[in-house]
Amino acid sequence: MKEPLYAESFKIRGGDFEHGGEVATRIKSICKELGIRPDLIRRLSIANFEAEMNVIMYADEADLCFQVSTEDVRVVVADRGQGISDIELAMTPGWSTATAEMRARGFGAGLGLPNIRNSVDEFRVDSRPGAGTTLTYVVRIA
Amino acid sequence: MADSELCIDCGECIRWCRHGAVRAATAKPADLKRFKYTVALPALTLYSQFGKDVEPGQVLRALKSLGFDEVYDLSAMCDMHASATDAYLSECRGPWPKISVTCPAVIHLILLRYPDMIENLLPIEPARELAAKLLRRRLAEERGLDPTDIGLFFITPCSAILHSIHSPVGLESSYLDGAFSIAEFYGPLLRAIKALGPVENPPPISARGLLWAMAGGEIAGLRDANTITVAGARDVLRVFDHIEEGKLQAVDFIEAYICPDGCISGPLTVEGRYAARRTIQRIVRRHGQRVGEGSVIPEEKVRALLREHFFDLEEHLQARPLRPLGRNLREAVERRREVQRLLSRLPGKDCAACGAPTCAALAEDVVRGEASLSDCVFVRIEGLLEAAASTKGPGHE
Repeated sequence: MKEPLYAESFKIRGGDFEHGGEVATRIKSICKELGIRPDLIRRLSIANFEAEMNVIMYADEADLCFQVSTEDVRVVVADRGQGISDIELAMTPGWSTATAEMRARGFGAGLGLPNIRNSVDEFRVDSRPGAGTTLTYVVRIA
Repeated sequence: MADSELCIDCGECIRWCRHGAVRAATAKPADLKRFKYTVALPALTLYSQFGKDVEPGQVLRALKSLGFDEVYDLSAMCDMHASATDAYLSECRGPWPKISVTCPAVIHLILLRYPDMIENLLPIEPARELAAKLLRRRLAEERGLDPTDIGLFFITPCSAILHSIHSPVGLESSYLDGAFSIAEFYGPLLRAIKALGPVENPPPISARGLLWAMAGGEIAGLRDANTITVAGARDVLRVFDHIEEGKLQAVDFIEAYICPDGCISGPLTVEGRYAARRTIQRIVRRHGQRVGEGSVIPEEKVRALLREHFFDLEEHLQARPLRPLGRNLREAVERRREVQRLLSRLPGKDCAACGAPTCAALAEDVVRGEASLSDCVFVRIEGLLEAAASTKGPGHE
């Protein structure tokens, strides 16, 4: 990756449904200021929102690091939480460990990770069960 | 002061200025003289302004008595618009949700701040424009008038519709010739309604169409769509942010208004919105009972108009996205850093005394070279205090 021109980090707290989506919204407005193309911002926002909600639903807390270079936007979401034991299974559309309460809130359809994969140009999941999960995804802007 | 590039015509400046300094540039009575035949098309909101016992027929007759050759009730066109929306939604393949085009301020907001959601807008002209298009056609045929001799004037609850007539989007030029505000006609109308008394043969009113005067009315008439109503600028922004993040795709149709309760709460209305809502509900109840489900439009008429693409949006909507901070990414990043630096020097009170709505907006204006940091009264006071302290020199109390 090229040297980032811009970087900012955001904290996301697990269980914080009240502020769910706010980090995605803030990043979106930064991208607009930086003049990134609307369709690319939209794809990035879908990924950011899903990643943010994943932390809120399943992890204790996370740092979302957002970096912009002349070539791409790169986001790393590193959480401390239960981790994912079977990544391949977690990537299957419709597969979910969401509780009834989460589903009642309209979440937990099992489309989070597949949605991120479909919205970005590069996507990687690293996880250690019992420790946490790190999502890395890239949207190319050049 | 409003930046015309960023203004979406929400009309809040008119609503809040205590001194009446901000006014909508409505039509003048002299404008009527330019035409051989004039028609007033009142927003349905007008029916909500004179209390629950005044019938739409009385309002229409009073309006005509102010000097129009004819008045036109919009409830039937709103009714047809709902049928056209039903037909469109049943065949549409997304992107979801579709968003109503009734509120011009909402359209401007999308063109400016959510350009990627233009495809979500319902590609149907607003009911008032369709009514004017149909009416001009009918009057030219029936009365042998040159279409340019017909003057069609909207009676508007807001400045957004007024502006949409002068600078339309999705249309090359408006089918309407101008607009008067509900507020400026209120007094004369009230007197005329009292003087003229009850109406013998009231015109048919569509209850399904009449509901459009208030938030929730447009979706109330849709057949079986999964719908949401959102009203008020803050809530609209929230919901649109969610749409942009890909949420709400299970929703078919969103009815959105910049005003807090839809058109009955427009800045150019007189009656309070709660009383106005009650009045509309009463009238709907009276008329809904008389005409079954509330629709007065034969389905065949709507189908014929659909076949000739009568309802279709005429021009592609053009985004007018917010200017990025810089000409390229490098400059934009540099300027964003500068904005952050300036923000730390501003008080963060968002008092708006400088003319910008928030400290962040002032910082951005300064970086763009459109304002000065000393526009902030707090920064100025700080500067004066520092200057006073340095002239006194050390040792003074």
